[in-house]
Amino acid sequence: MRALGGNVGDGDFFDIGLVDEIVDCAIAHAAGAQYKYSHAGRMVIYPHMTDADEPAVDVPVVADEPIVEEVPIEKAIVEEVPVEEPIVEEVVDPHAGQRLVVVKHHALVRLSHWLNVPILFGMIVSGLSIYWASPVFLHKPNPVTHSRDYLADLGISIARHVPGATADPSWFYNHFGLGVFNLAGGLRWHWLFVYLFIANGILYLLGLVLGRGYRALLPRRSMLGESLAMVRYYAGVVPMKIARRPWPHPEITTKYNALQRGAYASMPVAGALAIASGWAMHKPVQLWWLERIFGSYDGARIVHFIVMIYFVLFLIPHLILVLVDGWDTMRSMIVGWSERGELGVGGGVSEKTAELLIDATPAPTPDALLPTPATGGAE
Amino acid sequence: MSDELPQVWIDEATLRKRSRRDFLLFGAGTLAAMAGMWWIAPVSSKKRVLGEHATDALDTVAARLGLSKERSERFQNRALTFDDDIAEALYSPNRTVRTYSKRDVTPLRNNYEGRTPSPEYLDTWTLTISGLAGGKDVILRKVDLARFAQHEQVTRLCCVEGWSAIAGWSGIRFSDLLRAFPPADGAKWAAMESSVNLDGRGNPDPYYVSIDLPTAHHPQTLLATHLNGHPLGTDHGAPLRLVVPMKLGLKNIKAITKIAYVATEPRDFWAERGYSKYDGL
Repeated sequence: MRALGGNVGDGDFFDIGLVDEIVDCAIAHAAGAQYKYSHAGRMVIYPHMTDADEPAVDVPVVADEPIVEEVPIEKAIVEEVPVEEPIVEEVVDPHAGQRLVVVKHHALVRLSHWLNVPILFGMIVSGLSIYWASPVFLHKPNPVTHSRDYLADLGISIARHVPGATADPSWFYNHFGLGVFNLAGGLRWHWLFVYLFIANGILYLLGLVLGRGYRALLPRRSMLGESLAMVRYYAGVVPMKIARRPWPHPEITTKYNALQRGAYASMPVAGALAIASGWAMHKPVQLWWLERIFGSYDGARIVHFIVMIYFVLFLIPHLILVLVDGWDTMRSMIVGWSERGELGVGGGVSEKTAELLIDATPAPTPDALLPTPATGGAE
Repeated sequence: MSDELPQVWIDEATLRKRSRRDFLLFGAGTLAAMAGMWWIAPVSSKKRVLGEHATDALDTVAARLGLSKERSERFQNRALTFDDDIAEALYSPNRTVRTYSKRDVTPLRNNYEGRTPSPEYLDTWTLTISGLAGGKDVILRKVDLARFAQHEQVTRLCCVEGWSAIAGWSGIRFSDLLRAFPPADGAKWAAMESSVNLDGRGNPDPYYVSIDLPTAHHPQTLLATHLNGHPLGTDHGAPLRLVVPMKLGLKNIKAITKIAYVATEPRDFWAERGYSKYDGL
């Protein structure tokens, strides 16, 4: 048996509602949970469960029969039933050699997620070379640096701290873009990647629908309160770590916490805005209605640029949090499954959906009596 | 919500096999993406990242694997052509360019490619039209242009660089010129040239662009003689320039001296410098 790996969200149930959970677990055991799951290879179970929680041997088993019928256990039965075991409480493990995993991301969602890395990289570096030719956000020329563009200023500030760098207005575009005086090359990359970006967006949406992942992105009524709790948590997590004081993660019972939900849900919206504003300035005559949506040609340029900044700003916490959150979260975006889920709770998806997700044996029907503690932390 | 995180029992062996497959695909994809990026990246950027020697070495390896610079150029130019094809498919002769009122006019910068020519050429300026149905070339002088009806429009000129300006133009419709001097059968393009164009050092450097005939026939395609009520200055292409607001600014050739109607797509000043050809907005 194995407890869940030590990740951000997991530590929480050591701190939160411990007493409640022990009670819940006891109820769950009484209901036969121990019987069903305890022999699974890497079954996740509460670290604070003890033998004291063991249910009485003769406790009636609830909701077992349909499960036994549902899962392919022939092999296990055939192999284990004939063994003469005098111990009464020894039961057949229907999941010998199996592992209970959480289905997290549909294959198309994973594919489009990773395709976004080179595509967005291509879009942004080429976009910066295009932007260089005529920056949107300008100020009066700086008499020292001769820069009149805020992005170039940012580059000058960075270059001043880079050994050997020349802090001039072209530094930013040479190091974060495809270089200055490369409008033609920038445009060519931009058109190359934008069609891939659009196709990839369609793949992503398709994956969201097929894997039903969109449900984890829809807004919920509890989002505001949970967002505040998460902001409070993130604000305090580092100081509290330094102070060695307990700082429990808010209890999250959904796939994503409210901040993640908002951030991830905003990504397809930002992508659509980037594409719409891009086409508004690419084809302002034929797609005149798009240009009007953004007010004017320059309105579309401003939106397009702000969306780019939004993508970059999203990436910073995205990368930090996946590092903090750990291997399971990173791996789940490659393989689709995770070890961290709602402990002991069977999924609410139909067998067919589950098969579509990772063609695996569907989990048993949910056992309502099992506790539903916090899931993973941020990603 | 439990339905957001479905759980499944899965055979350890199957899980291991699938996960290994996914990791291998992920690794292969990463390598392919990096190789692809390297293939299409500008040499200057590559040298900035890896330095001169490593770049040369890697480029040699890439070329041996078939990822040569020539192929990279061809591949990337295909992206341009694809985007041009989309633009051409979007084009509708019935769609008009948004027009503005004279109050909306903004300053229009002189973005002459190279040095702005000095006004001496104006005295001897003529417009030669070739590829006509009549077979013989036509040469027009400034006074000949006065025979055509004058049209006014306030439209936005969008530069490929990203800036744009609203300007009031007046002049003759390209479609009127086409009616007066119809092109030969089979002509699909109007190739235009400004032989007075200069390079950055002031040496002659003819500028040549073309528009497709459907665009030339569009009622908002003008051969302009006036900007904001004043005769064009040399900075904006006196005495006759193209105003084609459904194309990028670079197609709006200044000081036109030649128009030739041709069947095959003519060479294009900017396409030879890595830009696209159709440039429809």
